[in-house]
Amino acid sequence: MMRFMKISMRKRYFLEGYSFISLWLIGFLLFMAVPLGRSLYYSFNDMVLTNEGLVGTYNGIAFFRDAFTTDVDFLPKLMATITTMVVHVPLIIIFAMFSALLLNRPFRGRMVFRSFFFLPVIIASGVVLQTLMNQGAATLPIFVQYDLATALSQYIPLEILMPLLKMMESLTLVMWDSGVQILIFLAGLQAISPSLYEAAKCDGATPWESFWKITFPMITPMILVNILFSVVNSFTKINNSVMIYIHSVAFKENDYGYGAALGWIYFIIIFIIILIVMFMFRNMDSPYTREGK
Amino acid sequence: MQAKLAGYFNSHSYRVTRKLTSKVLHYTVLISLSFVFIYPIMYILSQSFMQITDITDATVQWVPKELSFEHYRFAFDKMDYWHSFTNSALSTLGPAFAQIISCSIIGYGFARYQFPGHRILLGLVLFTFLVPPQTIVIPLFIFFGELNWLNTHLPIIVPSIFGQGLRGALFVLIFMQFFRGLPYQLEEAARIDGAGAYRTFMQIMLPLAGPALLVVFLFSTVWHWNDVFQPNLYYMIEEHFNLPQQLAILDTEGVFRVQQAKMMTGGGTLASVPTNYNRNMAGALITILPLIILYSFAQRYFIEGVERTGIAGD
Repeated sequence: MMRFMKISMRKRYFLEGYSFISLWLIGFLLFMAVPLGRSLYYSFNDMVLTNEGLVGTYNGIAFFRDAFTTDVDFLPKLMATITTMVVHVPLIIIFAMFSALLLNRPFRGRMVFRSFFFLPVIIASGVVLQTLMNQGAATLPIFVQYDLATALSQYIPLEILMPLLKMMESLTLVMWDSGVQILIFLAGLQAISPSLYEAAKCDGATPWESFWKITFPMITPMILVNILFSVVNSFTKINNSVMIYIHSVAFKENDYGYGAALGWIYFIIIFIIILIVMFMFRNMDSPYTREGK
Repeated sequence: MQAKLAGYFNSHSYRVTRKLTSKVLHYTVLISLSFVFIYPIMYILSQSFMQITDITDATVQWVPKELSFEHYRFAFDKMDYWHSFTNSALSTLGPAFAQIISCSIIGYGFARYQFPGHRILLGLVLFTFLVPPQTIVIPLFIFFGELNWLNTHLPIIVPSIFGQGLRGALFVLIFMQFFRGLPYQLEEAARIDGAGAYRTFMQIMLPLAGPALLVVFLFSTVWHWNDVFQPNLYYMIEEHFNLPQQLAILDTEGVFRVQQAKMMTGGGTLASVPTNYNRNMAGALITILPLIILYSFAQRYFIEGVERTGIAGD
């Protein structure tokens, strides 16, 4: 007991802190840092399964070069994934914010509608969505049934119409993907003090103005959180073609080295995209407080 | 004229109409959006009860002429429901419980202790959230293979005990955010009364973390239940398959027939191929039924909990 007391308060405080997160440290080393290092090693080596286990021969950056030059499958799939992400994420954010604003107003049946809006989180992840998509049920039938394309093509040139319709078609997927984001926005909206709106109203602000001057700046941090979540979510979805491709390279063709290299390329690209997002938001952290200074 | 208009805009009747229109508009938008969200459930329900005669019958759109449980019976047997359900439950509740325990401890550590390296370690937590599973899956697979853990629940449960696993980093951040929102006086009072750090956490802070525990538990349950990526890797024999895996192979015959037809017709008409997708719909419903039941009980706390956990904090 006496020896224990000899440690200074400060040191003891640090030790307590470390002991709380020690679980995470072990987990991080075992299930993240070591695998990351090993997969980096695999990506530079040709891995062959022999009697003595997995043996690697140094291969240099050949895999990384192959991915961009000789592999005909990888680049188109990667581009498709990134395009989908770039199109979907802004739509998800806008839709989620719109829905959150709708649900945040006090009205009768609010809880019921909220539970509907959150339903897709349960259904739309995983195999069930896959099953629905195989059936073609993941798009609303109105676009097909009423022959919207031909009707609209009389007024809008096809070059504009086709991408537009494509976007409309993926809209259901976007909506099903935004359950968590709606929830995060809702939580953010709830945190805004009503007195701000009252003050704005007294000063003669219209609802439109108070949205842009109060609501929007107050939930900017949530926009960043939601963008990050949506980006990660879209990159790790199971029906993502790159994910499926890497999986098949690694576990069907047993090409561990090449699979690891593809995994790293994918990771680096995600990381760059996230950095770009963070960079865009660097000043927007909390404009509300900054203006006050 | 202008004065008259201005007078109208300030009148009582204008305000009443305006309020009414806004209300009607609000409900219209809400109901039409809700339709998109309920649509998949309705689709699954209606298709799963239909018989072959209903599918070909043009007068049948949504409501089948008679209720047929035939597809459910088929899916129930073929998926070996109770067995797969047990597998699913184990591979879901195991990591979910492990994650609420480990992530709450870790989150508390990050929320209340400013030890050296705090910023870097927190940055690493965020970093782990961004690493796609594909990047590290090969070494992990080999590692678990060496430990003889394949075809057991251990590869999914053990990382969760250490705050990793499916979206573990996100849960750590949720707990951190929650504990940051609690007043310091609670701990100070406990300390003055002589409780150590761990006792303070166990007896004071953890009981207060109810909403956060519930939210994380529900998210973890839903995501683990629907996850097929990890199970597909680690459960390789059918005896260990969970429900989503069984659903994926439920209609292999039908998929094969579609592929055959595609090859023969060059990807042309598929309408003539009986794929029995109604069976798949029945399978899909019984796969998510446990989640729907859970959600119908817990959704109230779920949504309130998210608001109270302060995920939305800075």
